[in-house]
Amino acid sequence: MRINPNFSPDILADLYTAQSQEQTALQQLASGKLINMPSDNPTGAAEMVQNQARQDQTDQFLQNTSSLEGLVQTADSTLSSVVTALNRAVSLGTQGANGTNSKTDMQSIAEQVQGIQNQMVQLANTSYKGSFIFAGTLTTAPPFTLNPSSPDGVTYNGNTGTNSVQIAEGNIVQTNLPGSQVFQGAGGDVFGALQQLVTALQSGDTTAVGTATTQLGSSLNYLSQQRVFYGNVVNQLQSNQSYLQQEQVNLKSEANTVDGANLAQAATNLTQAQTTQSAALAALAKVIPQNLLQYLQ
Amino acid sequence: MGSLNSAMWIAAHALDVNQGALDVTTNNIANANTPGYSREVVDLSEGTPVEIGYLTFGTGVNLQQVQSVRNQVLTLQIAEQTTQQSGAQTQLNSLQQVQALFADPTQGIGTNLTAFFNSLSQLSTDPTNGAQRSAVITAAQNLATSFNQTAQSLTSNQATLNQSVSNTVNQINGLTKQIAQINAQVGQMQQLGKDPGALLDQENQLINQLSQLTNVSETQTQQGLTLTTGNGTALVVGNQSYALQVGSGTNGMQDVFSQGQDITSTIQGGALGGTIQVRDQDIPGLMTQLNTLASQFADGINAAQAKGFDLNGNPGQPLFSYNAAGAASSFAMATTDPNAIAASSDGTPGSDGNIANLMAVETQPLPSGQTPTDSYATLVAQSGTFASQAQAEVTATTTSLNQLNDQLGSISGVSINEETANLLNYQNAFGAAARVVSTINQLTATVLNMMSANSVG
Repeated sequence: MRINPNFSPDILADLYTAQSQEQTALQQLASGKLINMPSDNPTGAAEMVQNQARQDQTDQFLQNTSSLEGLVQTADSTLSSVVTALNRAVSLGTQGANGTNSKTDMQSIAEQVQGIQNQMVQLANTSYKGSFIFAGTLTTAPPFTLNPSSPDGVTYNGNTGTNSVQIAEGNIVQTNLPGSQVFQGAGGDVFGALQQLVTALQSGDTTAVGTATTQLGSSLNYLSQQRVFYGNVVNQLQSNQSYLQQEQVNLKSEANTVDGANLAQAATNLTQAQTTQSAALAALAKVIPQNLLQYLQ
Repeated sequence: MGSLNSAMWIAAHALDVNQGALDVTTNNIANANTPGYSREVVDLSEGTPVEIGYLTFGTGVNLQQVQSVRNQVLTLQIAEQTTQQSGAQTQLNSLQQVQALFADPTQGIGTNLTAFFNSLSQLSTDPTNGAQRSAVITAAQNLATSFNQTAQSLTSNQATLNQSVSNTVNQINGLTKQIAQINAQVGQMQQLGKDPGALLDQENQLINQLSQLTNVSETQTQQGLTLTTGNGTALVVGNQSYALQVGSGTNGMQDVFSQGQDITSTIQGGALGGTIQVRDQDIPGLMTQLNTLASQFADGINAAQAKGFDLNGNPGQPLFSYNAAGAASSFAMATTDPNAIAASSDGTPGSDGNIANLMAVETQPLPSGQTPTDSYATLVAQSGTFASQAQAEVTATTTSLNQLNDQLGSISGVSINEETANLLNYQNAFGAAARVVSTINQLTATVLNMMSANSVG
């Protein structure tokens, strides 16, 4: 049987194959990736796009979480100062109601409570990064101004809007309570109670002082309940943070399953391709000079 | 009975014949590495015998003809396979450049889409923050730029391919012209009853080159070889070649015309077919997906903008603009004012209520049925599938082409071993015939001497 005397194209084709396998293995070793071009695995390349999007999204959720922590903790610690101030007002009220105070004493207590009233307005106007946190969504202007002619002693300039932020897939948290709900809610109006206490102290009516103090106490309770909202958000943010960190690890390992080169495998492939190549070369070197002419010389 | 003269004539003719056979062998050896060369064999035959009385004598050897060894079927198959292989290779070369645009999952449209939504998400934590509003605008600009750049790269790849269409057509025209010339010579030789071996080798080689460029069908007619394009219009008929022309097609690209007929869509395989496939099918396919994504994304964001209010409390205006003729390449910002982002749902600056509507574009399917990230992922997969299909075809056709070439080589290839053996045979025969000549010479001398001895005696 006659065979093709020109065998170099076949050997060259084998050499090219070995070389391209070598290149693939080298690329995998160098990049650590299985997918260096979409054609390496089109479905995998698409999964990598989606995975990358989810990784970036998770990073953003983490960033949202830490941005919110600052805001919510500021609100929480502000309300903590509010509670301290109001407790002092309650004990001043109790002192004013016991009937042993002179008129001057009553005046001085009234002035102290007025001081607390001023401090309360300042606390209620707390801002975080330039936004007033108890103004609803009208965050560009201080929400509370003193107004002695109002029954509450203050005017609320904010609104009842609330904001929400997504902190994980399917997890959206409300990030604020409007000032009108915290300080002037239907269940407890601390500004109204303070104003009543001031008026009662100024008039020297101990019974009225007693009533106002009791009301202030119950308003304080209501405010403390509102404060729980912020505490909850802080807890939620903290647990969300560890959830997201775990999610990041999961996504990375998912990406590695799709795209991560098996380095041991790649190294073996490289060695194999090199062996094939040198074998083909050795064969070529042996075969080329072999023909009848050589033997006849 | 034969004579010394006839024996001398037989031996002298044998010298000529073996000389001729040696020439053929030498020519084979000389062309052992010539591409497209088919080995030649000498066709030796016994001379017509003569009858003298009741005896029959041979009249030596004749060199009947020198013939090239070929296989027409294999040659045709090789031409066909060459067309496919070269078409796939051309596609692969350009598709590799195309898929590189979508290769890196950590940059490009995909990551810029996510970055845009992330900047909105960040803004929801502090909707009045100017820096964060600017960050949204920057992210939107990056996204617009990556849409533009990807579209431009696709277009410029397409333009390069378009240019190579006219270059390839020029090459095809050059080849058909040469083939027609050779065809004319082959026809003349065949009319004279000669073997046009070397010319046919050249012609096959040219047809092979032509097959690398486009698909042709070959038929043998009375005028000689006829070559036609895929849809049957003539390229070469006998000694006449018909040039292909290029002209503007409906899509603004160079179309290929054969005798006034637009044959662009019927060209398959070969560098020309591969180029046209990527230029007219693959790239426009990706471009359509890209444009759909760009326009539907912009529509989605603009519609969400309209549901809210900007920082100044005015109803939200469109954020992106595009031209329907080419959404991705014309994708641009309708405004670069950070205050224009309609974060607010009630007109107050501090509200982030409408960001949820803007973010919904990220998670809700576009009219195409997929979310923006998913449709970009589909685009990436599509670009990879195109390239991997071309790669698979290259591998398959290369293997089968190698096999066919092996088969043809086993028939038409020059084997040095075989030629060396022939060389020795012809050399020996030549030497033997020469010895016969000198022997007969001696015999003739003997006869002559015998005669002169008689006359003297």
